[in-house]
Amino acid sequence: MAPASPSPAQARELYRALVREARKFSNYNVREYVKRRTVAGFQEHRAVSDPEAAAAAYAAGKKQLELAKRQAVVYNLYAPQVKSIMDLR
Amino acid sequence: MAPPSVSRSLALLWRVRPGAAAAASRFSSSSSSSSLSAASSSVPLRSYSTAAAIVAHHDDNHVYPASPPAVMMKGVKMAGRPLYLDMQATSPVDPRVLDAMLPYYIDQYGNPHSRTHMYGWESDDAVEKAREQIAKLIGANPKEIIFTSGATEANNIALKGVMHFYKEKKRHVITTQTEHKCVLDSCRHLQQEGFEVTYLPVKKDGLISLDELKAAIRPDTGIVSVMLVNNEIGVIQPIAEIGEICRKNKLFLHTDAAQAAGKIPINVDELKVDLMSLSAHKVYGPKGVGALYMRRRPRVRVEAQMSGGGQERGIRSGTVPTPLVVGMGAACEIAMEEMKHDEKHIKELTDRLYNGITSKLDGVILNGSEEHRYSGNLNLSFAYVEGESLLMGLKEVAVSSGSACTSASLEPSYVLRALGVEEDMAHTSIRFGIGRFTTEEEVDRAVALTVDQVTKLRQMSPLWEMVQEGIDLKSIQWAQH
Repeated sequence: MAPASPSPAQARELYRALVREARKFSNYNVREYVKRRTVAGFQEHRAVSDPEAAAAAYAAGKKQLELAKRQAVVYNLYAPQVKSIMDLR
Repeated sequence: MAPPSVSRSLALLWRVRPGAAAAASRFSSSSSSSSLSAASSSVPLRSYSTAAAIVAHHDDNHVYPASPPAVMMKGVKMAGRPLYLDMQATSPVDPRVLDAMLPYYIDQYGNPHSRTHMYGWESDDAVEKAREQIAKLIGANPKEIIFTSGATEANNIALKGVMHFYKEKKRHVITTQTEHKCVLDSCRHLQQEGFEVTYLPVKKDGLISLDELKAAIRPDTGIVSVMLVNNEIGVIQPIAEIGEICRKNKLFLHTDAAQAAGKIPINVDELKVDLMSLSAHKVYGPKGVGALYMRRRPRVRVEAQMSGGGQERGIRSGTVPTPLVVGMGAACEIAMEEMKHDEKHIKELTDRLYNGITSKLDGVILNGSEEHRYSGNLNLSFAYVEGESLLMGLKEVAVSSGSACTSASLEPSYVLRALGVEEDMAHTSIRFGIGRFTTEEEVDRAVALTVDQVTKLRQMSPLWEMVQEGIDLKSIQWAQH
């Protein structure tokens, strides 16, 4: 948990990690949502100048990454045999 | 290279392989599905999409066919799970909600009413935290939230509970014709007990007339019940104005906010409501739990409908289901945080869906007011098309016609009938529900399938032919054979 404002490299690493986790989901809708929400979230906080707010956003992002890692495992454990038609064509 | 095994795929989830990360970044999810067969070849296993790896393992030596029918249900063959556009019926559980619920199914399984040990204490803490989360969403005090088994039970407690408590002085209930079945059925039950109920009609756009409401109020009216967002047509009633009228006449106002909570901003003080029903599974929470908001200042008293050990202040006895309640709380908190994002996303997609369909088809009517609506609910009627056949042709899209509660019967929806929609148009209405997890591609696919199917059906329809030739169908004298 970074008490100080995250460096641009750290923010980029968090972004990549979140998008990587998104790809692990077998569920089409969740996968697309995590990707979309990550992009929207980072765009929203792109111009944040206050270091405390930036640190808080980074910490929240890290928490979401942990959550995504856990849930990717759970969702894939119960992935149905029949895929969504959006994944088939 | 040996085909990937399931256990290896799972083990890989725990570490990101450095090579795979670089490889993964070149692929988007749509291209990953087309390379399912490639995954079984000599390409090193990418650590994403375990389920794709499982499928690749089974079809290792087969050419992947175009779209094999993978499942057969009720005589319908489907290649895959349909894309879900029925968000008003229910919504998928958000992964963040599931994450909050699981500990309470695994280790923290105590009964929140057990006062003597840690299991009970931690369970109670979780329930109270969820209560706060829900109260924050609607601008209430946590003490004003009562957990129930869903919005249906909350509606029952609100209507029957209030009228039974005040039955000496108050004998009249006002509601609308477009309410949810549970409200209408509770009113019918009250009528059988001897109360009187006025069902206000709605205008063509689905809104009630405030003048008619004022005219219907009597000295012995106890409660007015008007839903905030309609589940079938998505229309938003003017609850703030109705609240003003009810305050003036010293009546209770109950609103069913099951479809509204977490989607449009709600504040119980601004809306001046005294009772509000909430449902978890409409806002990406678990099924089987809901809440009733009951104002404390001035206090609303109800007669309990469930007898038992006096839980939830004696209003709703029964063990509070901690995991479900925690899920509802998490869902409400997430909804509050995501409301701006969701609103923007859903509005874009709904416009895309509506414009996509209306740009390619004539004779498409939107049911319900255009301005006073929640954008995620699109109820469209297609002229000169038969409803059942349209639904059968849209088997790759999960939509509904009429609400889930009434779709078992062949009668057209009573809500559309109340709007004055003609019977043939009411029969062909389709409700598209768009939500947080809907994607642009799904909307595009739904537009294409709908336009296809409607065009096909219209080409087969003699009525459509006659309309194309300019014949006015209403002027036809049908011969009696």
